[in-house]
Amino acid sequence: MSLIHIEDLSKHFKILNRREGLSGAFRDLFSGDYRTVEAVSGISFDIDAGEIVGYIGPNGAGKSTTIKMMTGILKPTGGIIQVNGQVPYDNRIRQAQIMGVVFGQRTQLWWDLPVIESFRILKEIYKVDQKTFDQHMNMFNELVGLQSLYSQQVRTLSLGQRMLCDITASFLHNPQVVFLDEPTIGLDISVKAKIRSVIQELNRERNTTIILTTHDLGDVEALCHRIIIIDKGRILYNGAIKKVTALFGAYRTIKLQIDNFHEGTLQSLKDKLSERFGAEHGIMIAQTEEFWTDVTIDQERTPLSDVLGFVMSAFTVSDVRIVEISMENVVRKVYDGALA
Amino acid sequence: MRGYLAVVRATYMIGLVYRFGFLFSIFGNIIYLGVAYFLWRSIYQHSETIRGLTFNETFIYIGLGSAMFILLKTYIDWILHYEIREGIIATYLIKPINLGLYMLSGGLGSLLMSLTAITLPTILLLTFVFKVEFTRGPGLILFPLSLLMAFLISFHIDFFIGLLGFYTDSVWGFGTTKDIIVTVFSGALIPLQFFPDAIRNILLWLPFQAIYHTPLMMVTKPDQAWDILLPMLSVQFLWVVVLFAATQLFYNQAIKVLRIGGG
Repeated sequence: MSLIHIEDLSKHFKILNRREGLSGAFRDLFSGDYRTVEAVSGISFDIDAGEIVGYIGPNGAGKSTTIKMMTGILKPTGGIIQVNGQVPYDNRIRQAQIMGVVFGQRTQLWWDLPVIESFRILKEIYKVDQKTFDQHMNMFNELVGLQSLYSQQVRTLSLGQRMLCDITASFLHNPQVVFLDEPTIGLDISVKAKIRSVIQELNRERNTTIILTTHDLGDVEALCHRIIIIDKGRILYNGAIKKVTALFGAYRTIKLQIDNFHEGTLQSLKDKLSERFGAEHGIMIAQTEEFWTDVTIDQERTPLSDVLGFVMSAFTVSDVRIVEISMENVVRKVYDGALA
Repeated sequence: MRGYLAVVRATYMIGLVYRFGFLFSIFGNIIYLGVAYFLWRSIYQHSETIRGLTFNETFIYIGLGSAMFILLKTYIDWILHYEIREGIIATYLIKPINLGLYMLSGGLGSLLMSLTAITLPTILLLTFVFKVEFTRGPGLILFPLSLLMAFLISFHIDFFIGLLGFYTDSVWGFGTTKDIIVTVFSGALIPLQFFPDAIRNILLWLPFQAIYHTPLMMVTKPDQAWDILLPMLSVQFLWVVVLFAATQLFYNQAIKVLRIGGG
């Protein structure tokens, strides 16, 4: 039997429609004008013990909402959800004992106290005995090298150090499943690598099931065998990561700053690329942030150097960056049937 | 249980971490007591007693009342409000703890902190600097117990208001209204004896008087008979039970509508 079983799960929120301006705010005081937002609508999947599963999707896809339902914080609007055979919402306190959670955006450590105090408090809260606690702390120490931080106040830690402490804290009571909600957000490459290796090690040593939500495809590639892609509350893909990396590994996005950018520039770029590389070039063009034009290419079909050379000669380009394909583009490609 | 004790200890430690705040609150208290001393001295210039209270008793009432004001203000309503808004509440709900008891533990930690930082120094100041004489009597024995119950009542009122945040996303209006009601109706600002009889008789039926009036009566007039003091304590206990039950019921409802932003 699977550790986590989710079937036709949905969660709707009721949100007040806010009106504009001061007078609108006053009228909102008596407003009953709600709209329903379907954060999660009818998802199903199973996760086995010991798996590391990447749960990915763009902002507002419903990732955190699903996690909050699995941890028993939110009550589903409909559907079945079971973790270790129990309904998380009904048995929140008992279920919390077998779960660990890291919210990358906030800490669960005691901000004003030295790091070690947080671990001690959690030890008491989760009723971890002294011997197990010492063993765990030694293990984390070898793995992460936290000892030097013990006497430091949590609020003075760097983001990377804090994240390592938060991850340690979430594993302290040896939970069966750990939810990592964007554990590498805002971290530099070397800290990311460290965090990935720690997660991998913990999963191997203890066979802890790990559910990882992230924006960073690198995290998923490094850690997961399986990924679930969700967007607008629906599952787009649930399967092996290999298929996804095989498909997107060859994709690169060229970010360009084109001089004298105007409304017609995107269209003329599109036309010129079609002219040069044929109608079936598979190149995506989008403007994701101000001043930057994104050209995403599949290197197996059109070599990066060719596209870059062509664009540079056709337009006056003041700056260029080359990045791996973004989560948003993966999701868009999946939408267009790339994995079907 | 051990977990909650650890939280009490942690909250106390947080108070100690900010030791300058600790020292300054003692300093601020000295200034307040000085001002109150001269104010009430001049009010009592022409009469020995006002409404049955001597200057000595009124000054104990006002002095300890201000210390208790800091002691009993848990800020749980604002804390909960903030934590619901920011979604921090999620980090509590992932732990195997009862939210109410967890918050209470935090409150007890700050209670102990302000006992050592404010209340004890105030009693020392009253005794040795302002030469106030504490009358001896059974009330002094009951005072700590009465104080604890006052704290529990205050906590549950605050927690109740904070839980409204699950429904409204903001408890600002409720919170400020509650603060004013508690401050005035509890006798924290002015002793209830100074209120008109008709109003006082209504106030004695509300839970607020059990927060300040009851424990302060125990110290200002401790030489009353047991059969006056014990019923006062029982009324407090009754309010603790009623408010605890009400908050638990409300909590079980409120947690159902909990929603945390972000997806």
